[in-house]
Amino acid sequence: MLDRLFYEDKGVLLQNLHSVTILGYLAVLFALALLFSHPLYLAGIFLISALAVVTAEVLEKWEFYLKAGLWMALLIMVINPLVFHAGKTILWRSPTLPLLGNVSICLEAICYGAAMGIRLLAVLTIFCLAAAVVHPDKFLSLFSRFAYKSALVVSLATRMLPAAARDLANAREMLQLRGVDYGAGNLKERLKKYSWLLDLLLLSSLEGALQIAEAMQARAFGTGPRSCYRRELRRPRDLLCFTACCFALVFSCYAKAKGYGDYNYYPQLGVLVPHPASLILLGIILGSLALPLVLNWGWKHWPYLRSKI
Amino acid sequence: MALFEIENLTYFYPESDAPALENINLRIEEGELLLIAGGSGSGKSSLARLLAGLIPGFYGGKLAGRVLFRGKKLSELGPRLLNTQVGIVFQDPEQQLVMTTVEAEIAFGLENLGLPQGEMFRRLSEVMSFLGLTSLKQEFTANLSGGQKQKVALAAVLAMNPRVLILDEPTSQLDPLAADEFFHLVERLNKEMGYTVVLIEQRLERCFHLADRLAVMEKGKILRSGPVKEVARWEVENSLPFIPPVAKFFATLRIPSLPLTVKEGRKELKRLYSGLPALRKDQPRHHHLLPVQETRQGPGVVELKNVWFTYPNGKEALKGVTLRVNKGEFAVVIGENAAGKSTLLKQMVGILKPGRGRVLVMGKDTRTLSLPELARHVGYLAQNPNTCLFQDTVEEELRFILDNLGLEDGGMIDAVLKKLGIIQYRKTNPRDLSSGERQRVALAALLVAKPTLLILDEPTRGIDYRLKKDLGCFLAGLAKEGLTVVMVTHDMEFAAEYAERIIMMFDGRIVSDGSKHEVLGDSLFYAPQMTRLFKDFAEGVLTVREGIEKISANGDFGPCLATKGSL
Repeated sequence: MLDRLFYEDKGVLLQNLHSVTILGYLAVLFALALLFSHPLYLAGIFLISALAVVTAEVLEKWEFYLKAGLWMALLIMVINPLVFHAGKTILWRSPTLPLLGNVSICLEAICYGAAMGIRLLAVLTIFCLAAAVVHPDKFLSLFSRFAYKSALVVSLATRMLPAAARDLANAREMLQLRGVDYGAGNLKERLKKYSWLLDLLLLSSLEGALQIAEAMQARAFGTGPRSCYRRELRRPRDLLCFTACCFALVFSCYAKAKGYGDYNYYPQLGVLVPHPASLILLGIILGSLALPLVLNWGWKHWPYLRSKI
Repeated sequence: MALFEIENLTYFYPESDAPALENINLRIEEGELLLIAGGSGSGKSSLARLLAGLIPGFYGGKLAGRVLFRGKKLSELGPRLLNTQVGIVFQDPEQQLVMTTVEAEIAFGLENLGLPQGEMFRRLSEVMSFLGLTSLKQEFTANLSGGQKQKVALAAVLAMNPRVLILDEPTSQLDPLAADEFFHLVERLNKEMGYTVVLIEQRLERCFHLADRLAVMEKGKILRSGPVKEVARWEVENSLPFIPPVAKFFATLRIPSLPLTVKEGRKELKRLYSGLPALRKDQPRHHHLLPVQETRQGPGVVELKNVWFTYPNGKEALKGVTLRVNKGEFAVVIGENAAGKSTLLKQMVGILKPGRGRVLVMGKDTRTLSLPELARHVGYLAQNPNTCLFQDTVEEELRFILDNLGLEDGGMIDAVLKKLGIIQYRKTNPRDLSSGERQRVALAALLVAKPTLLILDEPTRGIDYRLKKDLGCFLAGLAKEGLTVVMVTHDMEFAAEYAERIIMMFDGRIVSDGSKHEVLGDSLFYAPQMTRLFKDFAEGVLTVREGIEKISANGDFGPCLATKGSL
């Protein structure tokens, strides 16, 4: 089931962008999700992230993230009004409760909790998108130029994880077929049985590590200065998407500086649209962030555009 | 000048008193394909590592004598220069891939050599085109099949543009089709591209004819090296097993031309039989091998009744399988990859439970039994014995299963260790043993619990002819004593020699089930070498012994047999 969380080639444009571009796009989305506190701006970022997930054809992955995210968002919405009482619009006041005393639920705290819930969902959606569209090898290749050894260690670990998971499942079955009953015995006995699994995994991993090290030496690893193979091409789509990201970032900073990206929840809810310019700026930011998604549509349905970007 | 010259070389691994290589003298000429055969632990892999500079570079140890590469001492070549001259592909494709995708994997060695981008791209594209890997460029190495992984490992080495390719049992973990494809590539690299190849291999029937020279190793020494046919004759005269059936058959008959392939052999048989026999009136015949299990007598140890099984990913692996294996039978399951063989075994063991239908072990439904309960009746040996060896000594490994099942030793440990010839390793850590010995320890750990059903998943994969013979005789002996043995193998020669019943699977169904002569004798593509050799000349020939008997009955070849007793 965990396989569903990892990168899978769907042939969509977001997966075919240069890693700098796609990482830039994700970084901007993530930064804006943290930067803004205005509910409309947060909802806009969530909407764009959700559309990107749909565009990347990874709804089944998103479902996994949402299942956890929605519960967490709901929890924030419930706990926040219980903990924060700084709002002026009291909706309900409880009788005196043991330990808690009088608990008052105010509209402002509910709204703030809801906004934070949307922010959480947006952040989780961006993580989901990152897992679905960033090719791990391209990502590591990008960093291997200046942090080669760290990138190699991550690559080796990534490669060995599925093998270790498979070995663990095999070892568990093999031990059961040698009479090990994991359900029997007290906690200490059961822990001991599970420790045998770790022993087996450790022994196999150590032997495997030795063989990998030998294979690396046979392929000239550590014999002198090395170069870095660049496997990615820069195309017009990268320029377009990167420019759009920069555009969105600049206008976001402007919106933030003007205070349009912020919102006063306490002590009383502020005006949702203090100035028409705030909506115009939001439109420009979302439009810029939506450009890769529009290009993705063209990439799929318009061969002429595909040939040009 | 020879490409490699090894003179009076002796090598000891660190902390070892016995030499891994002893007094080796060998010349490897430019452009030749040298095949190295020998048993497990004979020093073949050590020799490969020596040629690749990994001994003593990676392993350390003591070394006497010298190794020259194009007249220069190997130790005097820098590691980087050596890596551009000699490339090595190892046995296990899983344990030699470093990166996560195919393209990055092939580029890894080139990056280590510090090559410029343009040169790396050129080499990478050429190698991927030559090996047909372009479509897999972005694929994750974890998602590749064993054959594809080994091809990627070969590509990664070829991209470094070496003069010599050292292949250390490269097909031992591959299925027959992938192995054939790999050998085809090796042949092209040697014959068309001029690579010098040192091939260490156990599947000799697939590569014997490709070699220019053959070297046979034993206990760290080269017993004999020379032209393949000459060494093959010498092997037969000295009762050594490292020779494929067709060559062994003709060497035993002392045929001067010594055919190495079925094609050459049939030409020779035509001469011996004075032409191909005329087509008989009763040909072509039609066999009806299905279903035969109803005709089998005796109590069923394991019985599958209309078993269907679908994996969670939707793949339907078994489709209405009905099968009964009786007490004391030695049955072998054959078929292509993904035919459902391993799924069938896992159903018998109880690791998987049927979606529909029933699996009965000793009359009990496996769905009502837990794995530890089934362990009292069933012994299961997985492909890789390492998955179950973790105790400090061989004895503890055997005692572990006895303790888990609440059984008394009663001298069983001694008896089983003696029977398998590993009593001397009683206090040794199983992980310090060779692969063949580890397999015997894993087998002993099953037998000590006195199972009624023994199930083995490809136990012959990667083991040498001598170990195969020992294993085959041992399993046949167990079956005679009343133990039921079911195993999966791709090794038709092994099945022909030792099994009594063959079950052929295809696409989740049993397509043929009968005695080995019924199933293999009439098989189009699963027939062993000797059956293909004797096709149309004589029926019922699966093994070299049967071939010799047919020939002896046919003419005057009896007196000229080299070593009939060794067959």
